Amino acid sequence: MQAIFFLTLALVRKRKKQTLVALFGVAIGFTAFVVMSSLMFGFQKYFIQQVIDLEPHLMIKPKEELDEKRIIKVIDPQALVKVLGAKPKEKDRILGWRDLVKKLESYPEVIGVTYQLQAKGVIKYGAKEKPVSLIGIEPAREAKASSIEKFLTLKRLDTLSRNPEALILGAIIARDLGIKEIGKKVLLTFPNGATKLMKVEDFFNSGITNIDNTRIYLPLKTLQSLLDRPNEVNLLALRIRDVNRAEELARKIGKEIRYEVESWQRAYLNFLKIFKVQNIITYMIVFAIILVSSFGIFNIIYMMVVDKRKEIAILLAMGYQPREIVLIFLFCGIVLWILGSILGIILAYLLESYLAQVEIGVEGLIRSKGFMLDRSVRNYLLGLLFTLIFTIGASFYPSYKASRLNPVEIFRSY
Amino acid sequence: MDWIIKAEGLSKFIARERILQNIHLEIREGEFVALIGPSGSGKSSLLYLLGLLDEPSGGTLWLEGERINFADKTSLARLRRDKIGFVFQFHYLIPELTVLENVMLPLLHKGENFSTAKSKAQSLLHTLGLSGKENRPIYELSGGEMQRVSIARALSYNPKILLCDEPTGNLDSKNTLKVMELLAEINKEGTTILLVTHDLSLTRFAHRVIEILDGQIVKEYVPT
Repeated sequence: MQAIFFLTLALVRKRKKQTLVALFGVAIGFTAFVVMSSLMFGFQKYFIQQVIDLEPHLMIKPKEELDEKRIIKVIDPQALVKVLGAKPKEKDRILGWRDLVKKLESYPEVIGVTYQLQAKGVIKYGAKEKPVSLIGIEPAREAKASSIEKFLTLKRLDTLSRNPEALILGAIIARDLGIKEIGKKVLLTFPNGATKLMKVEDFFNSGITNIDNTRIYLPLKTLQSLLDRPNEVNLLALRIRDVNRAEELARKIGKEIRYEVESWQRAYLNFLKIFKVQNIITYMIVFAIILVSSFGIFNIIYMMVVDKRKEIAILLAMGYQPREIVLIFLFCGIVLWILGSILGIILAYLLESYLAQVEIGVEGLIRSKGFMLDRSVRNYLLGLLFTLIFTIGASFYPSYKASRLNPVEIFRSY
Repeated sequence: MDWIIKAEGLSKFIARERILQNIHLEIREGEFVALIGPSGSGKSSLLYLLGLLDEPSGGTLWLEGERINFADKTSLARLRRDKIGFVFQFHYLIPELTVLENVMLPLLHKGENFSTAKSKAQSLLHTLGLSGKENRPIYELSGGEMQRVSIARALSYNPKILLCDEPTGNLDSKNTLKVMELLAEINKEGTTILLVTHDLSLTRFAHRVIEILDGQIVKEYVPT
């Protein structure tokens, strides 16, 4: 084996320019993989983490079953009927929710359960109006069953317990209405036509545009009273120990109760699907870059084999086995991969460090002052693995061709 | 048995063209045999068969009493590594390696450690009059020196048989004489040599001359 390493290093060492070009190819492919993965997973992990921290891991809400069957039964079960405008069978509320909360709290997988009343409304500040989602919460319970407090600018969740006219405003709603400080009075209009002057006590800033642009938290009792729905809730929110088992637990609970149980994965299914598509597209681009860079290795090894036909012939005459000839040229590719990877690791690290410092105002699905990066070792290890696979792929064919050379034909030609 | 190579009815056809036919040959251990004949007579083809580089179309070959199985490529490579050395008209040295490294290469391949391989190669280069050139790149050597390095490389792993295909073909008369004297000396130390040449003047170094014509052995004689 030492003869093989000896020859490999000599062959690579004497081709400085070609080696440099090939190893830069590997380095660029590796860097592209690491940085693109870092950006992509950084964004996705941030989004998912915010969702897991903020949103219920499991939501229990009334089923939205329409009353179609009853209408069809009345007309004729055999008739071909298209039902237009069927109404929901049940009212938007959870009956016996206090008992249900106790039952859910007894599950070992559940950390905490909170209950909410949610409704649509309109907020008005001065001349500006905005449609919003109103969420009536019980602050003490909410603090146990969610990480809402983490996202409050002034950490004044408890003011909702003390002041029935207090509310917490989503950061984008506040910005759009021009509210910059607490204490401002806003007018809320409810679906039943009721209105109420409320006081802004805090701002809620999750970083997820869609949430910060719609949500207003207010005391549960206030919302129940204004909607004329005393003691009613229409959502139970569960926080569980293992977020990855949310779907499994949702199915389990769903079999035991008559309400719809939705996991956070199902609630954000569209986003998770988009992330999958995004991953596929990004990997396709990155793999194309690695593929092109591995052509550099293919090129240098192929040219080496063409150039070294005489030497390959004498090595075979000296008793080298064809597999040893394969290894000599395969190791040339691997040496280029090692050198290219070292350079790639340095480049990727520097580029990530630079991107981490860049300040850009991003406002789309999430809001951020800079790039969300996932600077994990996993990206580097995967980068090394994929560039190694491509390097071996690119080196193998010329190496195999080298091992199939017939020394007699070569000796006759000189 | 004192023969080291024995061929019985060896033949070689390439695309129905007869290259060698019905070759019967015995070479004794320690013998220096010259294989002569005009260009295209089949000398080199016979050398490639005897050197286990090529597969015969028919016939049988024995090496040190062992019948050669040409289908077992791994064993053929091992036999070449352990028993046969080659010197060609062209030196086939590896230009990426120095003189010393070229000679060390077969030793490292055989499993010698680096320092042993280095000292053996140095001693061999010294014997062949190449002291002081160990670290030179190949392109700085003269034709004669290159050929001596290729002989050193072939001898480095102590082969029992040295197969030389026109080793002086590219050399001037002075270097030709040096190389031939060197081969004669190597032979005196016990290495069997088969020399392929079309230069009849070189047959004087051999114990026996075999003349080949149109792929068949036509004459064998002891040179005067």
